[in-house]
Amino acid sequence: MLKGVLEGIVLEIISHGEIYGYEIAKKLRQLGFEELAEATVYALLLRLEKNKLVHITKKPSELGPPRKFYTLNEQGREALSSFWVRWDFLVDRIEMIRKEGMNKNEL
Amino acid sequence: MNFSNEMKERIKQFAKEQSQYYLEEAEMTYLEKLQHQIGQTKRKVTNKLSKLKTRSNVSIDVQNDLILYMSDYMNDLMENGISEQEAFERAKEELKFQSETTRSSDLKDKFVEYYENFNPADHEAIGLFYAGFMFFGISVGGLIGFIASGGRELFLSGGWIDTLIGTAVGGIIGIGLGLISNAIIVLKKKGENKL
Repeated sequence: MLKGVLEGIVLEIISHGEIYGYEIAKKLRQLGFEELAEATVYALLLRLEKNKLVHITKKPSELGPPRKFYTLNEQGREALSSFWVRWDFLVDRIEMIRKEGMNKNEL
Repeated sequence: MNFSNEMKERIKQFAKEQSQYYLEEAEMTYLEKLQHQIGQTKRKVTNKLSKLKTRSNVSIDVQNDLILYMSDYMNDLMENGISEQEAFERAKEELKFQSETTRSSDLKDKFVEYYENFNPADHEAIGLFYAGFMFFGISVGGLIGFIASGGRELFLSGGWIDTLIGTAVGGIIGIGLGLISNAIIVLKKKGENKL
């Protein structure tokens, strides 16, 4: 059920504006996902690209090969809204279960 | 931050090795769809794609991407006071392809294929061939050795050695014939599966 949560988070980060791969990883670390392996983020970005959820612009880099900058395309935006729908549903149901438990304990 | 030439080469080499694994995993969803559409085995489709991959620029693109990602990460680590060598080792560890999905899925396919085609009767037949040829070889070899050494009269005065040699050679010939029949059965089975 939680599959795709990281993908949703990354799609949301990309939706905030043009960003390159390592910047996304840094952002995730700033958000507290410090234990996330670099390989996981990198593989995810590659998957987003293969699944055609992002638009890529290549810009020259000081390190040699051109740097890829990601923005969401139409398909990516759709995937993101679908992720938020699923997320809201999940949060709603979890909250419902939690409240049920709390009410039972009060009785 | 600039890396030494040796380090640049090592980063390039790492990216070259690892990019294939990442690419394979990213293509999995596409592969599965394709597999269903054209009804081919995953291995066949993967082989076709890997040929395409080596010829296309996709692989180079992923390599370059990984080089940049790794360089960014190393720069970040070095800015925090870590040496170039240490940063490389850490980045290598962090960026090493971790998912075993593709390989384990291929292995699973192999096991499935093996058990799907597994027939206890084949194994029984192979065992019987081995045993049959062994008994046949041992008896014929022993008999030839016994007769050639001079028969019953000379058996105790040295003829037993020839009988023993004949038995051993016969046994080896039996194993050899068993191996040949095993190979024939396996090849025949393989041919049937291809059809």
